[in-house]
Amino acid sequence: MEQRLANTWRMTVNEKKFIESALLSGLRVDGRNVYDYRKLSINFGKEDGSAEVHLGQTRVMGFVTSQLVQPYRDRPNEGSLSIFTEFSPMADPSFEPGRPGEFAVELGRVIDRGLRESRAVDTESLCILAGKLVWAIRIDIHILDNGGNLVDAANVAALAALLTFRRPECSLGGENGQEVIVHPPEAREPLPLIIHHLPIAVTFAFFSDESTLVVDPTHQEEAVMAGRMTATLNTNGDICAIQKAGGEGVPQSVIMHCLRIAATKAADITVKIRDTVEAYNTERALRKIKRHSAPVALDVSGTGPNVRKNQVKSQDQRKVSGSVGSQVDKLKPSNERNDSDQSNDIEGKMVTKSFEQGGTNSKDGKPRSFIGGPSS
Amino acid sequence: MEIDRADGRSPNQLRPLSCSRGVLNRAHGSASWAQGNTQVLAAVYGPKAGTKKNEDPEKASVEVIWKPKTGQIGKQEKEFEMVLKRTLQSICILTIHPNTTTSVIVQVVHDDGALLPCAINASCAALVDAGIPLKHLAVAICCCLAESGLVMLDPTKLEEEKMKAFVYMVLPNSILSVLPEESSSVKGEQMDHGLITSVTHGVMSVDDYLHCLERGRAATSKMSDFLRRNLQPRLSSDSSMAG
Repeated sequence: MEQRLANTWRMTVNEKKFIESALLSGLRVDGRNVYDYRKLSINFGKEDGSAEVHLGQTRVMGFVTSQLVQPYRDRPNEGSLSIFTEFSPMADPSFEPGRPGEFAVELGRVIDRGLRESRAVDTESLCILAGKLVWAIRIDIHILDNGGNLVDAANVAALAALLTFRRPECSLGGENGQEVIVHPPEAREPLPLIIHHLPIAVTFAFFSDESTLVVDPTHQEEAVMAGRMTATLNTNGDICAIQKAGGEGVPQSVIMHCLRIAATKAADITVKIRDTVEAYNTERALRKIKRHSAPVALDVSGTGPNVRKNQVKSQDQRKVSGSVGSQVDKLKPSNERNDSDQSNDIEGKMVTKSFEQGGTNSKDGKPRSFIGGPSS
Repeated sequence: MEIDRADGRSPNQLRPLSCSRGVLNRAHGSASWAQGNTQVLAAVYGPKAGTKKNEDPEKASVEVIWKPKTGQIGKQEKEFEMVLKRTLQSICILTIHPNTTTSVIVQVVHDDGALLPCAINASCAALVDAGIPLKHLAVAICCCLAESGLVMLDPTKLEEEKMKAFVYMVLPNSILSVLPEESSSVKGEQMDHGLITSVTHGVMSVDDYLHCLERGRAATSKMSDFLRRNLQPRLSSDSSMAG
């Protein structure tokens, strides 16, 4: 027991009083405004479905994996989504290894309610053979550094990992169409998950003075706060979940005020997530083109003049060898144009056509269904 | 005979190394070590008061927690924890802080072969970042043996699975000594020729094993240089660890 006592970090009375009195004048210790979020940055790992989120000093990693399983009896044509949260002892000296504590369980449940119960991830598309085989998606969230506000960071990590995850494509075969063949990623391009909306969690901390509340508390503010509330909502204006477990009682007007603030914050974070995922997808598509550098046949260069018409000067310094170089350069500017100009369908079709032709001309000669990045 | 490695390396070539220290804010010491695509994050907390029941209270003890990327903690994770713990116990000076526990937490970010050596290197760098007193540093390397008898260093995951056998070895960092030559040798043998840990998988003959050891030793001098350069004290522009 002596060891546990040595682990807990106690806040001094001076620090506590300092934070509280600064908040009375609307000042926060790190210089933010009361309703400001810390800097959010999302990085992706080398595999599909791995994301690392930095929210100020808080650092969370999310991994998504999939497995073929038998479905639940009462839901034979739906896949399943399960979330596992790991409070790694490296995040905080008070996190013990082994059984998850109550805070870890609460965090897992809040993210679960936001993602699964609001039907953000389409589970019916995960069904392959009704009643026999479905995809089970597993999200592992590792908390690496506790700088405060773990719920929001973990939620963003889970969403970013889900958006960049690709599951293998499978088809039905065999005598009576009952055998499932799972195609490896080299043979057939893996498919992304269908995600209807992005539920974003926004956490508020209440303090003993009734009118004081802050958004995105740091761990020092969390040690001082009297109560907290997490609101999960999406940009469609739906509230997916609200979690206020005990703590200081707050008047209704304050709750409504918080929900309004949460709506604006959710919009900002959604834009940020979508932008980073889009950049990652574009870069991933480009990586795929460079790998299959095949000799370009005459009919592809036939579409050349049309593509060249839409060409924008490319400032990219990447070296690509062979005749595919020109193809890549043409495709990249059309990618950039497409991202900014969504209504221009002609460019989208051009890009998809050259992708497919590039696909059939690949060295191994196998026909591949290649999903071009920007057209999705 | 020459075997073509998938990424175009020669049999004696290591993957690109990268190491960053002080990546986490709450941990007392942290380091991220990457060898090619294999990446491991290690954090150190300590020394904390008290030791566990089975540990000797006359000495400091090292506790290792291994966190895999996904899934439950199984036997392999426990084995890695045990090997890592014994290795780190032999490089830490255990008599300085008796009756304390130093926790080392290892998180696997990506596994592309040579996972345990990568973790040992990361833990060593994290211990230095935390300021835990060490006797000397350690560098770890993986060496594998192909069917044809060719010895290759630092395999990727695909190569590891195809090989007949492989060995992880941990060697002490080559000593830069200001003292004259004689004091660095133990019983007539050079100190840097010692072997701290060796874990083998698969079947290999004694000659092959000794051959792997020689190759590994030659390669670790480069890794030692890299490690030493990386662990140089940083400039004073860094913030302190208070709080």
